[in-house]
Amino acid sequence: MTTATLSRWNRFRESFLWYSFKRDKVAIVSSIVLLLMVFAAVFAPLFAPTDPYDLAQIDIMNSELPPVGMSGADAAFPLGTDAQGRDMLSTILYGTRVSLLIGFGAVVLQAALGILFGLLAGYLGGRVDSILMRIADVQLSFSTLMVAIIVGAVFKASFGNLMFGEIAIYMLIFIIGVAEWPQIARTVRASVLAEKKKEYVDAAKVMGFRTNRIMFRHILPNTLSPIFVIATVQIANAIISEAALSFLGLGMPETQPSLGSLIKSGFDYIQSGSWWITLIPGLVLVVLVLVINLLGDWLRDVMNPRLYKG
Amino acid sequence: MKSDTPLLEVKNLDVRFAVRGGDLTALRGISFSLDKGERLGLVGESGAGKSVAAFSILNLIARPGYIAGGQILFEGEDLAAMSERELRKIRGNRIAMIFQDPMMTLNPVLSIGTQMVEAIKAHRRIGTKAAREIAVGKLRKVQIPSPEKRLDQYPHELSGGMRQRVIIAIALLLDPEIIVADEPTTALDVTIQAEIMALLLDLCEQENVALMLITHDLGVVSQVTQRMLVMYSGRIIEQGPTREIINDAQHPYTQGLINALPQMGEPGARLFQIPGSMPSLKNVPSGCPFHPRCDFATDQCRQTMPEYVRSGNVDVACYEVSNLIEQEKRMQEAGS
Amino acid sequence: MLAFLVQRISQAVLVMFVISVIAFAIQDGLGDPLQEMVGMSVSMEEREALREELGLNDSMVVQYLRFAGNALQGDLGNSYFYGKPTLEVIAEHLPATLELVIGASLIIMFLSVPIGVYAAIRPQAWLAKFFMGVSTVGISIPVFLTAIVLIQIYSIGVTIEWFPEDTGWGRWLNGAFTTEGGLPSYGRGDELTHLFGTWYSGFFSTDGLMHLVLPCVSLASIMLPLFIRLIRAEMMEVLQSDYIRYARAKGLSSMRINFLHALKNTMLPVITVGGVQVGVMVAYTILTETVFQWPGVGLMFLEAITRSDIPLIVAYLMVVGLIFVITNTLVDLVYGLVNPTVKLTGKKA
Repeated sequence: MTTATLSRWNRFRESFLWYSFKRDKVAIVSSIVLLLMVFAAVFAPLFAPTDPYDLAQIDIMNSELPPVGMSGADAAFPLGTDAQGRDMLSTILYGTRVSLLIGFGAVVLQAALGILFGLLAGYLGGRVDSILMRIADVQLSFSTLMVAIIVGAVFKASFGNLMFGEIAIYMLIFIIGVAEWPQIARTVRASVLAEKKKEYVDAAKVMGFRTNRIMFRHILPNTLSPIFVIATVQIANAIISEAALSFLGLGMPETQPSLGSLIKSGFDYIQSGSWWITLIPGLVLVVLVLVINLLGDWLRDVMNPRLYKG
Repeated sequence: MKSDTPLLEVKNLDVRFAVRGGDLTALRGISFSLDKGERLGLVGESGAGKSVAAFSILNLIARPGYIAGGQILFEGEDLAAMSERELRKIRGNRIAMIFQDPMMTLNPVLSIGTQMVEAIKAHRRIGTKAAREIAVGKLRKVQIPSPEKRLDQYPHELSGGMRQRVIIAIALLLDPEIIVADEPTTALDVTIQAEIMALLLDLCEQENVALMLITHDLGVVSQVTQRMLVMYSGRIIEQGPTREIINDAQHPYTQGLINALPQMGEPGARLFQIPGSMPSLKNVPSGCPFHPRCDFATDQCRQTMPEYVRSGNVDVACYEVSNLIEQEKRMQEAGS
Repeated sequence: MLAFLVQRISQAVLVMFVISVIAFAIQDGLGDPLQEMVGMSVSMEEREALREELGLNDSMVVQYLRFAGNALQGDLGNSYFYGKPTLEVIAEHLPATLELVIGASLIIMFLSVPIGVYAAIRPQAWLAKFFMGVSTVGISIPVFLTAIVLIQIYSIGVTIEWFPEDTGWGRWLNGAFTTEGGLPSYGRGDELTHLFGTWYSGFFSTDGLMHLVLPCVSLASIMLPLFIRLIRAEMMEVLQSDYIRYARAKGLSSMRINFLHALKNTMLPVITVGGVQVGVMVAYTILTETVFQWPGVGLMFLEAITRSDIPLIVAYLMVVGLIFVITNTLVDLVYGLVNPTVKLTGKKA
């Protein structure tokens, strides 16, 4: 067991991926920043000075305190407080956690849908292919954000505010996952079409393997690297989509804030001069999305897969 | 027959490609000359550097390629050292080029007329109307039916053969001194290859244009050129009068190429093949690049690059040949 | 040409049919017209009679056909909140959104083409690298955040006191980073010019233009990096092609090669993507209008959601769907006209 993992580690260290990673400063810095953010978010309860979900810890007298370094700041709240007197550092840590959870969950869902439909479309071809890709085309031409907003609006209207707030995380994962599946499906389809032409697929057919075995055991592993690349970028997109939905009031409620809902609740106070309530979570969101995008760019350059263009 | 200074003289040309982890040498020590109205063939397998040689004559090597040394003297002026501005006056005007694939050569979104007129206007102060007349005249010369109509058509509306005719017409537009034709018929249907080649040769002869014909087809070169160069792995390994080389090739590689030609009148005869394949630029063998495929290779061949020796009117870079020549000389001396 | 037209239009009709089915499903699933009409105080029998009268007991297909028939006649019901036909409400809000989109599109067009082309021609230049870096960062900033930052800097103003006020350079730096603000960040202003019908325009007064600046820049900021990257990538690919090399072999000037031979081939795919991006832009107008309280259809839609104004939501979907379908069809047609290799038979030659 240990020797197996060890040799795998050694193989990884000798791989091209690791080699080009070591040479790319942007990739190194991005992944360090990302790892730190993920770590801080996952263990938010350990790092956060207060629990923003716990109303007992909040004192309205502390509301709208500026970050340390400005006049009127309180050292207990290094990034200041929001309008309800919640510690910004804590809400941001918890908010990043929610944003990452939704981003990751949505990508898992869209990858599942995208891989399934992409494989079906690419492998079966014909009518199945044209119907699935037509749907994907229409959905993409409407833009995934638009689809997400509409689905979110319908859900909110049918569940009502309160109910929607309680199950918001699952709803958002569902909405974003469903809205964005065409991206991955197209990529999978493109690589399946390319793989299908190769000899090993013919060989598998000749040997009499069943269709789904050929698809999942033979073709799928060979399409993984483009899926991996696009999934990375899609996490960033999902986080932005979540933030947009939350900003529109179709996402996480203020009691259980994501980065998007933090920005939204802070926006109401920007005119009164309390810029930090909205801009600090905004900065965190941008950095998070940027490092994921930079890693995605790097992966795309290194793995150089056939991605669906446009 | 030969004038004192040739029209084009390439001296010791080196072309390299700057890639990560050092330069790759694409052309090494290329030297040859081209006289007015002469027809010169350049043969070699794909990857030998023929196209790079063709493009370097116009100093048109795409990045990351660059000319690392040597001269390209056109009427005594060095194209390798010229500014882009001066080069532009020569390109298309005095030295024209014909590319390999007519499907890819013409811009798909511009009409034939636009692409012909712009070439004339780039070099002559002339109105559009007059330029169109010149274009029509040249299209007529390459035997394109209803040339006036063609000017308003787009490349995709013409067949491959028609497009290559248009490209020949464009090459002739400004009455150049040299046409460099890089595999002008390879991409065409076999049935029209001969037709297009005959047309090109006729026109060059009529207008007294020197033609540099780049091809992998030794048969064509042997029929239509007066002199030829054989390239292997970025080097010229043999050059001289075509007739002499075809009748009595010196370099083992050239001999192999000639033996590989299907012989007429011998049905069922087995085709000869040179064993192995051309090395890639990334790992050119030491010494003579041909030695791994050569039956006569010695340790000397493996270590150092042979210099050119003269045999008759032919220059060859091969130790086997130079050894034979020296042996002959010694025998003659011993005999006398 | 005719076959191409017929094919594209039948496709558009099919998509519109699907949208109308979705819209109908939403209306049917969420809206209860009785609730709105009569409230709670009506007996079950009366309700049932009303249901019968309104045709709510008919089969789904009949109800859909009635919905679609009304829609075709321009009747998408009345808005609960505004108490007048939904299409009228949308017509009142649409010009504001269109002006926002027009302004942003102008910014995108005038900046993305020169920057994209420059970055493709001189990929190694530091300015090109700078533009590409800014684009990468730009893609990662959500549109509402750009809007908020712009409001902070240009509307509210920023006072910077990071550098020592008692030194000359400190004062200068503080001054350089301090902004006055003052640009409007709320609504369209009062000085709108009436053009025709429901169209009141902000393009013809200083105040109207001032109100347009921040929303348009915000909306443009999200698409601009995308277009710059797209144009650069396409152009670089085109510059590698044989016909560009051939153009150089003809002795053409690099101006003509870059801006005629290469750019024309570059813009063809850009047009297609641009058409698709119109859809994305409509989604972003919802965000932009929310931030700037811009009285367009995006803000109207969002308010309709909070007010559960189902007919207005449905009407918005139908109208936006129609706009998408029309622009996509138009883009296809324009592409066919610009690109000589598409013979308008629907297939690429």
